[in-house]
Amino acid sequence: MGLRVVVGVKWVPNTQAVRIDPKTGTLIRQGVPSIINPHDLAAVELALQLRDRYGGEVVAVSMAPPPAVQGLEHLIGMGVDYAYLFSDRAFAGADTLATSYVLAAGIRRVEEERGRVDLAVFGQETIDSSTAHIGAQVASWLGWPYIYYVRRAELAGDELRVERVIEGYVEEYLLPLPAVVSVAAKAFKPRDVTLRGKLRAKREKPIKVLSNKDLGLDPRCVGLKGSPTIVAKVTYLPEVPRRKEVYKPKTPREGARWLLRKLLEDEETRKVIVKSLWGGGSG
Amino acid sequence: MARVDCSKICPEWPCEQPEEFKGVWVVAETDDDGVVEASLQMLTPALRIAEKLGEPVTGILLGPPGVSKLADELIKHGADEVIVVEDEALKDYYPDVHGAVVAELARRYKPSTILIAATSRGREMAPYIANTLRSGITADCTDFDVDEKTRDVLLIRPPFAAIMLAYIRTPTRRPQIGTARPNVFPVPPRDETRQGRVRLEKVDVPKPRARLVSRRKLERREVPIEKAEVVVAGGRGLGGPEGFKLLERLAALLGGVVAGSRKAVDAGWIPPERQVGQTGRSVKPILYIAVGISGAAQHMIGVREARRIVAVNIDPDAPIFNQADYGVVGDYREIIPALIEELEELKKRGPRAIEEILAEQIETAEPGSP
Ligand SMILES: Cc1cc2nc3c(=O)[nH]c(=O)nc-3n(C[C@H](O)[C@H](O)[C@H](O)COP(=O)(O)OP(=O)(O)OC[C@H]3O[C@@H](n4cnc5c(N)ncnc54)[C@H](O)[C@@H]3O)c2cc1C
Ligand SMILES: Nc1ncnc2c1ncn2[C@@H]1O[C@H](COP(=O)(O)O)[C@@H](O)[C@H]1O
Repeated sequence: MGLRVVVGVKWVPNTQAVRIDPKTGTLIRQGVPSIINPHDLAAVELALQLRDRYGGEVVAVSMAPPPAVQGLEHLIGMGVDYAYLFSDRAFAGADTLATSYVLAAGIRRVEEERGRVDLAVFGQETIDSSTAHIGAQVASWLGWPYIYYVRRAELAGDELRVERVIEGYVEEYLLPLPAVVSVAAKAFKPRDVTLRGKLRAKREKPIKVLSNKDLGLDPRCVGLKGSPTIVAKVTYLPEVPRRKEVYKPKTPREGARWLLRKLLEDEETRKVIVKSLWGGGSG
Repeated sequence: MARVDCSKICPEWPCEQPEEFKGVWVVAETDDDGVVEASLQMLTPALRIAEKLGEPVTGILLGPPGVSKLADELIKHGADEVIVVEDEALKDYYPDVHGAVVAELARRYKPSTILIAATSRGREMAPYIANTLRSGITADCTDFDVDEKTRDVLLIRPPFAAIMLAYIRTPTRRPQIGTARPNVFPVPPRDETRQGRVRLEKVDVPKPRARLVSRRKLERREVPIEKAEVVVAGGRGLGGPEGFKLLERLAALLGGVVAGSRKAVDAGWIPPERQVGQTGRSVKPILYIAVGISGAAQHMIGVREARRIVAVNIDPDAPIFNQADYGVVGDYREIIPALIEELEELKKRGPRAIEEILAEQIETAEPGSP
């Protein structure tokens, strides 16, 4: 029978390549390539491992502008069976509630077209907004149980046994399916694209693009209109006052001495140094 | 306050008027030691918002019978009242079960604002609460304010670039929900004389679908970076994982822990739970030593609560020098070993040597600008 696993992936600007204009303090987005959110590749890897072990299929879903097809092709190259791109101008400006609404409806559509979905997997968070909202919100829309930070997953009868680390504890849960999980950062090392996968992406084009009309959602529930949160204004972050004493020593020894002296003159740091060097007491 | 035109909003949302909602809530997370510090920290912005709105602050406490004894902790730190749900079924935490109970309370009491600490559990549960109420949520706020005119809470967070702050409003939905990372706010001072009301509420706790089957404590390796008084952080300038060995020695001498910038984490020199910054953790040590870190806004946002910042960087123009208290220009490979030697020497000489060092009139004691 196998598992049908849906993976949510976001198409994000590559923050590694983003630079900030030192004069205006704004982002230079121009020429910044977009990529599949790196954490989502770990989610894709978990989904592929589950399919490889138990059979079934992996379906990637993304709400993004049309160029994200490139990213989805990459996933097909990795071995993902099928992908859906939900793409519409009406989706622009969505906050996490409106995004999760489209994704939940999209997962329902996957079920109608391909059959029952057993598991929806998400990345830990995105590198451009890192809210970690979407997994829980989709679980809420679908009414499925969910668990975050998963680092191991396997079937146990008709349930999923998952392991996660949270607040200093290793926890193991049994999740009845269907369920939602999000994957701990770096928990799974994503596999490379294969030549076979690449060819399949090219020849079979197993990617479906759906507009809001296709999904049939109320325009008041998607994009900016469907977003309860709005950005009212943007300002600079106020600076924290600092002493800004900078010393350029002639020798390292001199630099170390200058610094040590500063730290000992300073009431705040002196106490810590005394405590750490000789324990307790005060200087 | 603006009236919401029900024909304009998503029919999936309940159409309610913002003026019907009053009160600022802090959802308290608990562990074996009581209410977690990060939740008490959320009382700081809650009190500020409540004062501006003229509304009370309410703590929300869920747990097995007996948990109400923790209510006092919230009251002593500033809550006006605490709503407690005691139920055997709340002994183990499940994000959807606890989340559903908070959402049910919110439907009954209609708070204007809900604040939740963005601990791992908070990050997991908060969006579920928000979505169940079909309201907006803003993650990882670094500040909160109130728009006097509309009475909207302004949820302030760095967007894509930490150098800027976005002011986010939730004009047509209530409650307004926000989270903040641990250590972004201090715990409000404890006031032993404070009194508050404790209300026990009954809620039908949904049956958990997921089942916790085992739980074991990870053996404690190091102090988490959020708790350390001294943090020695390395960046890309260390050039490789060996650099962190050196920082470990310095940290050990100072009774501190090591941390790193995102570039150090991305390079695999240090684990992700030790990353400081916007997408890592916020720390509040007394002393933060940044070594080979340039001082990007996304990094520095994680050290705003540090009492003192020391920077060691080879580049005199590195932006970190403008955001540090004491900066030394130089190659860390030379400066840090020298600093370790000086500290070891001092340790040998004993505490009295401090006065001698401070009395010494060494010419190098005068800071020269680079
Ligand atoms: C959305 C977003 C979120 C981000 N979140 C985070 C975050 O949470 N945390 C974070 O840290 N970053 C974050 N970043 C990345 C951030 O913008 C910077 O790229 C990063 O902080 C730089 O790391 P660094 O200072 O270690 O490296 P660099 O900027 O490369 O700086 C290295 C420094 O080392 C110095 N150096 C080199 N050799 C030596 C030597 N021998 N001795 C002494 N000094 C030397 C150099 O002069 C330089 O100043 C984020 C970026 C984005 C876009
Ligand atoms: N637009 C999107 N399309 C598909 N999946 C998404 C989208 N945005 C976020 N996700 C998924 O939700 C996770 C958490 O995202 P975030 O809440 O933005 O941090 C990501 O790691 C993705 O798996």
